[in-house]
Amino acid sequence: MSRVGDFGSPELSLREKLIHLNWEMVVMISLIAGIGFAMLFSAANGDLSPWASRQMVRFGVGVVMMLVIAVIDIRFWLKVSYALYGLSFILLATVEVMGSVGMGAQRWLDLTVIQLQPSETMKIVLVMALARYFHGLEADDAGRARYLILPLILIAAPMALVLRQPDLGTAGVLGLIGLAMLWLAGTRVWQFLVVGGAGLAAIPIGWQFLHGYQKQRVLTFLNPESDPLGAGYHIMQSKIALGSGGLFGKGFLSGTQSHLNFLPEKQTDFIFTMLAEEFGLVGGTALIGLYAMLIGYCIFIAFRCRSQFARLLAMGLVVNFFLYVFINIAMVMGLVPVVGVPLPLISNGGTALLTVLIGFGLVMSCWLHRGIYINRRGAA
Amino acid sequence: MTERISFRSAQKKALDIARTRLLVGGALLAAAFLVIGVRLVDVTLFSENGPSRQANARNIAVEKKMDRADIVDRNGILLATGLKTASLYGDPSIIIDPKVAARALVGVLPELSEADVLQKLSSKGEFVWLKRHITPRQKYEVNRLGIPGFEFDEEERRVYPLGRLAVHAIGFTGDDNKGLAGIENSFNTALSERSERVTLSIDVRVQQILRRELAAQIKKFKALGGSGVILDVHTGEVLSLVSLPDFDPHTIKQASRSEKLKEEFKNQQFNRTTLGVYELGSVFKIFNHAIALETGVANMASNYDARKPIRSHGFTISDFHAENRWLTVPEIFMHSSNIGSAKMALDIGVAAQRKFLTDLGLMRRSSIELSEQQQAIFPAPWTELSAMTIAYGHGIAVTPLHAAAAVAAVINGGILYPTTLIRRDELPANGKRVISAQTSADMRKLLRLVVENGTGRNAEAPGYLVGGKTGTAEKPTAGGYKRKALISSFIGAFPMNAPRYVVMAQLDEPKGIKESYGYATGGWTAAPVVSQVISQAAPLLGIAPVDETAPNARRASAIKVATPRARGQGIATN
Repeated sequence: MSRVGDFGSPELSLREKLIHLNWEMVVMISLIAGIGFAMLFSAANGDLSPWASRQMVRFGVGVVMMLVIAVIDIRFWLKVSYALYGLSFILLATVEVMGSVGMGAQRWLDLTVIQLQPSETMKIVLVMALARYFHGLEADDAGRARYLILPLILIAAPMALVLRQPDLGTAGVLGLIGLAMLWLAGTRVWQFLVVGGAGLAAIPIGWQFLHGYQKQRVLTFLNPESDPLGAGYHIMQSKIALGSGGLFGKGFLSGTQSHLNFLPEKQTDFIFTMLAEEFGLVGGTALIGLYAMLIGYCIFIAFRCRSQFARLLAMGLVVNFFLYVFINIAMVMGLVPVVGVPLPLISNGGTALLTVLIGFGLVMSCWLHRGIYINRRGAA
Repeated sequence: MTERISFRSAQKKALDIARTRLLVGGALLAAAFLVIGVRLVDVTLFSENGPSRQANARNIAVEKKMDRADIVDRNGILLATGLKTASLYGDPSIIIDPKVAARALVGVLPELSEADVLQKLSSKGEFVWLKRHITPRQKYEVNRLGIPGFEFDEEERRVYPLGRLAVHAIGFTGDDNKGLAGIENSFNTALSERSERVTLSIDVRVQQILRRELAAQIKKFKALGGSGVILDVHTGEVLSLVSLPDFDPHTIKQASRSEKLKEEFKNQQFNRTTLGVYELGSVFKIFNHAIALETGVANMASNYDARKPIRSHGFTISDFHAENRWLTVPEIFMHSSNIGSAKMALDIGVAAQRKFLTDLGLMRRSSIELSEQQQAIFPAPWTELSAMTIAYGHGIAVTPLHAAAAVAAVINGGILYPTTLIRRDELPANGKRVISAQTSADMRKLLRLVVENGTGRNAEAPGYLVGGKTGTAEKPTAGGYKRKALISSFIGAFPMNAPRYVVMAQLDEPKGIKESYGYATGGWTAAPVVSQVISQAAPLLGIAPVDETAPNARRASAIKVATPRARGQGIATN
């Protein structure tokens, strides 16, 4: 640690990077993913197939990617930020044209090898692009209104595309990530309020563009008991399952609500419910605690970063991760509408897992290169 | 220098802002985690769906009723067992729209009435039974409705794998798993408190044969019903106990649907073998002859004048198969002469007849482990006329089981054993001698004679040395007897050289058919049942057929059935 103090010698060899890597973070991530494997095993009624085994493979691939990303110099990531944003945006636009329809929404781009959800990668590159933009501003400029135009466009453009797909949840998350980045970058509080207010004002307008089922979801959220057999079914069943878990739960593989298929989408969006049914309040709290530790650790990393880019990047990615966790758990407990956000590192699904691990790779890169001073144009 | 300082301070200020914002952001995230943490506590621990105290109390109540012991037959075949089933109840306080819920439920459980369900679901409380003991399939269907407020309780349902086969012996339980009839009722405490299974004396293989043959004969002769019993003459064990019509113990609840079904069920539930008392007719001649021989008022060579009917106290006693001549004691038995029997009864006398019938256990409650019991109906006062009619089985009504048990004592060497439905693992020591071994041996020969040459020829089962006695009684009606309504019986036993089992069959109001030349007597209707049952059951019971012409077998019926000397030379024995 002495060699890599905040303002000490920042350049490290690959070997040193691997030594100083946040292995404790890797452990935390693996712990959470391990819980995920167990839950997928349980969701398949005690079978590794179809979900748990594939998820393990994906996780293995993802962890390697994460470590590779972590040791790559932060300045490289700064340089390619805009390019990655542009590429992602083009991909996102492409799904509009040639995206295959998955689960009723055009979210998947079939690249024959893997199916990609550009909206997921968009979250990360949006953080990168905004971090780079604000890194390039003078300290005071961040508070000036005219410098807010470009970042607002950077935020709004992918949101508009995602909304057209239509994917309410992801659009909301992109918006929230954008707002968080503006806040962290030092936008004046009044500006922040204006942007936030404008967003709120846009809700009634946006409402017009929503699909019938999306309107129904929001209405159902406001009063789930109004339609227990239809749109409120997910939430009713989820709450019943959570309630049936009690303090210590029914035991591994014994969640009746989940295993008798009352609980919909138990391997993806409602996997937390199954966990809480089988392991009760204790199990649910333990998982939330692990998430909180991981997030707190990342905030600590952001705090220690010398460059604005690294700080914003780390914190933005943490916010992205946090939003996954919060929205998913709040959703299954009926605190927010059902929007189809997976529980990161736990839910079955490739894209979400990979993007989350890529995000953590970048956060680790921030840590390894936290002492590096980067000038506004991106040179050291 | 100043520029550098201001640059430095500006940078420091920017860093301060960034770090403050970061901390505020972190605090917000922490607050958000707190919110979901609190919410998690709320939904897991304070959920209305959580197990309430009331539900726990219910579960405890149900727990007590679980694990009722099994009932098996003498060979260990399962007759009654418990099956865990789900029972559906509703919680009206959770049901959102009773109308929708009721319609949906009746959609998957069509046997429920929608109005009834709606009324239950609209009630105030938190608990209404909707349907007890549903099948896993039905439970799945109800669950699939996904309607909150429909809940299940695990209960135990009594299941009878053989259905109606031995239903009158086994009995059945009610919804709360309490025995209501049969062994389920009489052994209720033992079955519900002890976990040991109860082993009946019933042999389902034999039970099946008796039931099938009796049912076939009831159908053939269009009888109202019938009864049958098989007894082990050396132990008093009931191997088979049949009463027809019978019923399926699983569907007794359906009987309450209409008055007609209720009446039908009442008839089916009635255990003719232990609860029904009947005048058994000539079957009683077995006892009459046994008493006569035992008391010494007659021997196998005695003669009685059966030339013309007896007129006494305004009654006429005549013979059905009239020979109109003097008859020996074996002939009276073989031809089932009422006149001869009545005259023998007069010789026996009222007191001796009453004493022996009491000794044979006919006058008291049977020891069988069933509460469905009836005691004999006998004349009071017991006059000479009574004695005469009782000689041929009229004026006294006993259950078929009583008669079978008494016959077992008459032929087994003279010892009456208590009747039981529970398997005995050793020979009973509590038998009571009622007649001498010699009388018993004579009676065996007489019974064999009836099947060989008399009214019971239809009961013959080649190789099994069947002996027995027919009985045909007119059914009593208000103030007299119905000539066309008969109780036709046959009590048989085999093998007569060393009797093992008594087999009794009885039909209620059989109608004569062409094949029986219009007769509906015991010899034509009940005897064939005994024949069929013995020829099918004997091999199962381990009794090998014998060569009936062998000397040992011949001795079983070696009787001098000499025709008495010509009239006038007669040895008058009134």
